[in-house]
Amino acid sequence: MRSLDTEVLVIGSGAGGAVTAATLAEAGRTVTVVEEGPWVDPDAIEPFSLDEMVVKYRYGGPAAALGTPSVGYAEGRCVGGSTEINSGLYHRLPGDLAEEWRRTYDIDEFTPDVLDHYAGGIESLLTVSKVPGAPPASSAVIERGATKLGWRSVEFARVFAYDEQGRGTKQTMARTMIPRAVAAGATVVPDCRVVRLLRQGPRVVGARCRRTTPEGATERLDIRADHVFVCCGAIHTPALLQRSGWWSRIGGGLKLHPTVKVAARFPSPLDHGDVPMHRVTEFAPKLTIGGSASRRGQVAMALAESSAEYEDALAEWEHVAVYYAAIRSDSAGRVLTLPRASAPLVTYRLTDADLSRLARGLVNLGELLLAAGATELYPSISQSGVARRQEDLVAWWDGLTRSRANLMTVHLTSSVRMGQEGALSGADSFGRVWGAQHLRVNDASLIPDAPGVNPQAAIMMIAARNAEHFLATA
Amino acid sequence: MLGFEQRVVAGLVTTTDPERRAAVEAFVDGTLRSMPEHLRAGMAAESLLLGAWDRVRGRGRAGPVDLAALDGSRIDVVRQYVRLLRGLVLFAECELAPTT
Repeated sequence: MRSLDTEVLVIGSGAGGAVTAATLAEAGRTVTVVEEGPWVDPDAIEPFSLDEMVVKYRYGGPAAALGTPSVGYAEGRCVGGSTEINSGLYHRLPGDLAEEWRRTYDIDEFTPDVLDHYAGGIESLLTVSKVPGAPPASSAVIERGATKLGWRSVEFARVFAYDEQGRGTKQTMARTMIPRAVAAGATVVPDCRVVRLLRQGPRVVGARCRRTTPEGATERLDIRADHVFVCCGAIHTPALLQRSGWWSRIGGGLKLHPTVKVAARFPSPLDHGDVPMHRVTEFAPKLTIGGSASRRGQVAMALAESSAEYEDALAEWEHVAVYYAAIRSDSAGRVLTLPRASAPLVTYRLTDADLSRLARGLVNLGELLLAAGATELYPSISQSGVARRQEDLVAWWDGLTRSRANLMTVHLTSSVRMGQEGALSGADSFGRVWGAQHLRVNDASLIPDAPGVNPQAAIMMIAARNAEHFLATA
Repeated sequence: MLGFEQRVVAGLVTTTDPERRAAVEAFVDGTLRSMPEHLRAGMAAESLLLGAWDRVRGRGRAGPVDLAALDGSRIDVVRQYVRLLRGLVLFAECELAPTT
């Protein structure tokens, strides 16, 4: 067994952990970051490829929140976490939503002004920008359809830096905050799974880990720390807390954005090297319409979801792109650690209202794509067939049932909510876990509810705020 | 992969190139091994039941699986079972396809 001492241990290196590590290391604290997954050169693997799925995704790809219907989800598991595999869309937390959460959960120092201050800091570090020049064809589809229907749409900024030729590079944590942390003296330990937190009564004193060496052997590693930040994301943060003995209001209240998809075929080819950056905001925040990665593999999977014959469309896959409708859900899920299992059980119970909203979103998405010139639509409803005209969309209202809906999500939040309202939260306004000492959560788990947009910006601004609070108080 | 899973995957793979078939099967096998334990256990149980049902129907332990029957099953988890395997096979086949 090996052991290691540090002042601050940060568990997880995604949007929350990387910001925490960089902020604390640059303030002169001794920081160690442990990451369960590998440290991969961000330029070594093509985005959204099979290799990326194998190397950077937890479970090598698919996982599911069980329910009726189940909701498939994906998470990153590498240095940089899910920022390495997402689309890089950046959206500040809407002020009215922050204000609503501040009141409901009694969150200190959570006014729009405070959050904007931290968002500004993050944006200046990450290069948040819009695509130079005209948007790619797959993104223009959304704008064109929305314009024809009289709906609002916007081009979202992304955490991308562009060179003089207009080539974009996603500013993932492995490219930005992790190097900053390392430059300031932080140590990063990849391939290191935290089995449980070490504690003396309510005080956390470190973590017991299982590290995989470069030679492939595994060894036990105990890390002693004065302070521990758990930043493993909305599934694995509550799972680790439960494994370590904290259960009260931990893991319940999981939120996600249930999402339905449509593979849309067009008369002419689309681009497939980028993710559409336009979004329909006409129905936000309850419903958002946008586009997904559409490499050949993703197109094939999306085409097959409808159970219709798809070989002809797949043969012309360059003409097909994948779009989605995502809702803010009324319902909530749960993360539950199972004895002797490394993966927690995740459940999610969709309400009838959620299902109805998803059906509406799917029909809206179909209308948009037809208005933009699509000739064939393959929805993620089993046994649904292909829609070619407006009249065909009527069947989607009744078709999206619990047994036929094929849902997924990539946004998971709210499993250890923050706030001073102890009955509703697992941690206080700054991420300190109720009933524990020297233990903080600082990731998507803290976000009190689903934001209705990509949560990366909210995660980062909350993480920066909490890290500064730590520096001022600990 | 369990025997019935191998037969389903073999029925879903469309390429005739033995190397690509092997690569697709290896990808699916690796993904199933990496799944959360409870999901893998549920899937394995389903594979055993479906395999037993297939034998009862006289199809033996080898040979093609009736994918249309699984796709059209009235039982949700059976359809989801094929959906998952089909998704993995399709993704791997497309991503492993030679660049044209």
